[in-house]
Amino acid sequence: MMEKTANEQFTVPIGPQHPALKEPGSFRFNVDGEVVTGATVRLGYAHRGIEKATEGRNFVQNIYLLERICGICSDIHATAYVLAVEQLAGVEAPPRAQAIRILVAELERIHSHLLWVGVAAHEAGFDTLFMYSWRDRETIMDILEGLTGNRVNYSVNLLGGVKVDVDEQQKDTILKGIEFLEERTKHYLDVITKDAMFLQRTRGVGIFTRTQAEVLGAVGPTARASDVARDVRVEAPYGAYKDFPVNMITEKGCDVEARFVVRIRELFESYRLVREILNKLPEGELTARFPRRIKPGEAISRVEAPRGELFYFVKSNGTDKPERVKVRTPTICNMTSVVKLAVGHQLADVPMILVGIDPCFSCNDRAVSIDHHQHGREDWSMEELREYGIRFYHGHT
Amino acid sequence: MDILSDLFAILIFPSGLFLLIAGLLYEWADRKLLAQLQNRIGPRWFQPFADVTKLLAKEEVIPTGVNPYLFVGLPIIALAGGLTAALYVPIGGVAPAYSFNGDLIVTLYLLSLLTLCMGLAGSNTMDRFSLVGATRTLTQLFSYEAPFLLALLGPAIVAGSWQISQITNYTNGHWLVLTQPLGFIVVLIGLMGKLELPPFDAPEAETEIVAGALTEYSGRGLAMFRLGKGIEMVIGLTLVAAFYLGGVSNPLWFLVKTLGLLLVVAILQAVLARLRIDQTVGMWWRYGALLVLIQWLFMIGMRVAI
Repeated sequence: MMEKTANEQFTVPIGPQHPALKEPGSFRFNVDGEVVTGATVRLGYAHRGIEKATEGRNFVQNIYLLERICGICSDIHATAYVLAVEQLAGVEAPPRAQAIRILVAELERIHSHLLWVGVAAHEAGFDTLFMYSWRDRETIMDILEGLTGNRVNYSVNLLGGVKVDVDEQQKDTILKGIEFLEERTKHYLDVITKDAMFLQRTRGVGIFTRTQAEVLGAVGPTARASDVARDVRVEAPYGAYKDFPVNMITEKGCDVEARFVVRIRELFESYRLVREILNKLPEGELTARFPRRIKPGEAISRVEAPRGELFYFVKSNGTDKPERVKVRTPTICNMTSVVKLAVGHQLADVPMILVGIDPCFSCNDRAVSIDHHQHGREDWSMEELREYGIRFYHGHT
Repeated sequence: MDILSDLFAILIFPSGLFLLIAGLLYEWADRKLLAQLQNRIGPRWFQPFADVTKLLAKEEVIPTGVNPYLFVGLPIIALAGGLTAALYVPIGGVAPAYSFNGDLIVTLYLLSLLTLCMGLAGSNTMDRFSLVGATRTLTQLFSYEAPFLLALLGPAIVAGSWQISQITNYTNGHWLVLTQPLGFIVVLIGLMGKLELPPFDAPEAETEIVAGALTEYSGRGLAMFRLGKGIEMVIGLTLVAAFYLGGVSNPLWFLVKTLGLLLVVAILQAVLARLRIDQTVGMWWRYGALLVLIQWLFMIGMRVAI
């Protein structure tokens, strides 16, 4: 520890355990004084083997498992999975169920974006905005609890429909809550675009140009803040989004401020959508009959999670269990942008840039490539894995 | 008798026990006010006491790669500096225990000792967060210290003395905040910089560098640094109230004026976002120093005119 050579770079580790990150992810920033000269990312600290676990459960059980991939956008995971399985079975959910699905998805987006505003403000050392936005977020949490019975994993989806219905009283509560939130959100937009001290930390920081966003394959609000019109709800409307069209929200700023503004403007769009869905909710059944065994086939579904495009691949072999479920979350698409953007910025801006993509580490940790030097071998027996593990840790102590 | 009163002044009042308790209570008041402004509940009144007691009871871990004497000694020097400074300041609305010509400069130097010790403590360890934090602490010291000092010398010039007791004799009844508003603003914001309160908390920005210079400190050392901060807050508020807000001639005025100042400080903490360290430096030398210089020019102009 003492013998530090002259040409050794000064590295500031952010993670795997660090107050800026609420989940484990490891970033190493080489700094020269306060300026970042290099950045690397290492993921995989929260790999939970969920994809493998889906193969041991039947299609219905998997809804509840996949919902637990993400604690913030749980509903959208279930929606993506259910849409894929419905596609495989050739069953379509009734219109009312489809509308309720996107109603909950939009409520979830509101909750996720409000949460993000708080977290991002905290990273910039603006704790008052953090506390206020999280207080207001309670409104949407209460609405979701009243509607579904849960505050986090809502369990709204079923194969071929939804579990919950919206009655007149609930509709009134939701509309009242949305009205309150709209007022508050206007205030936040005001703070974010006018507070001089806060603008010093966001305006012109972390410029992510349109070309970069396109080349690095950014998705969701991160891409839209760089003026890339990329939103699955608009490009390939799924479910009831065909009947309730969404307006694409983009910003030309390309900086952290634009990422704030894009999310806040999306909140307004979500409020509009929630109102429209509630006022034009189609009548009818909530569920359709659904077979237990799904005929063999493959299906993909793409949905717009609060953080960007969420991708599901489901393969069935004719039994009541899927043969393969593949999940790609939006965070992994945006992660490269952090490493790219951090270079050249001050160390103090790094948390803002990192949080700007709204990272969700546990969600994005899927499969881990075990060894690059094994010439593309993909099948390992348990015994081989054990031996490899022993060798690996011997080399690291 | 002389020795007894000396011991009383050093160990009980105004320095020593009284100041330690007052520091913790002011820390609580600051945290509680900030929490209320941020729509939180905030700590109970004994929380700082509980924190410090617990820290004092804990093992002090001395990390590898540090100079152990410095590591243990720096918090003691920091705390001693704060406690000594209190002897020359009208704490609690009572006349200073000791006084000599030029004690204002000594007091200000002793107050800077805490920041210096924190910077050294951070540089002493091998921890990256501590090193970055120490750099920022010392950078910040160099940015606010000069304007802060110049702003506190404003009242000294008007009073015609560099002795705190004589300045307070003059300021009793003279609300210098009315005649030197620029100096007051600079000194109050300088105090926030000194105490590393938001928006000047870049040296301990937890989302970047964990706890800054004090990351490696635990147990007794951390407790002493925290006590030192509390003490510095009391002394700083007393000085500002005594110099700019018409003096602290009795305990009641002392309480009212320092707590009023604390409320202003808490509001500023709540409404401002954290500045980057380069922005802090820029702000102090671009605006802070300029404001004080304008204040000084004005004062000199008035002197010449009269």
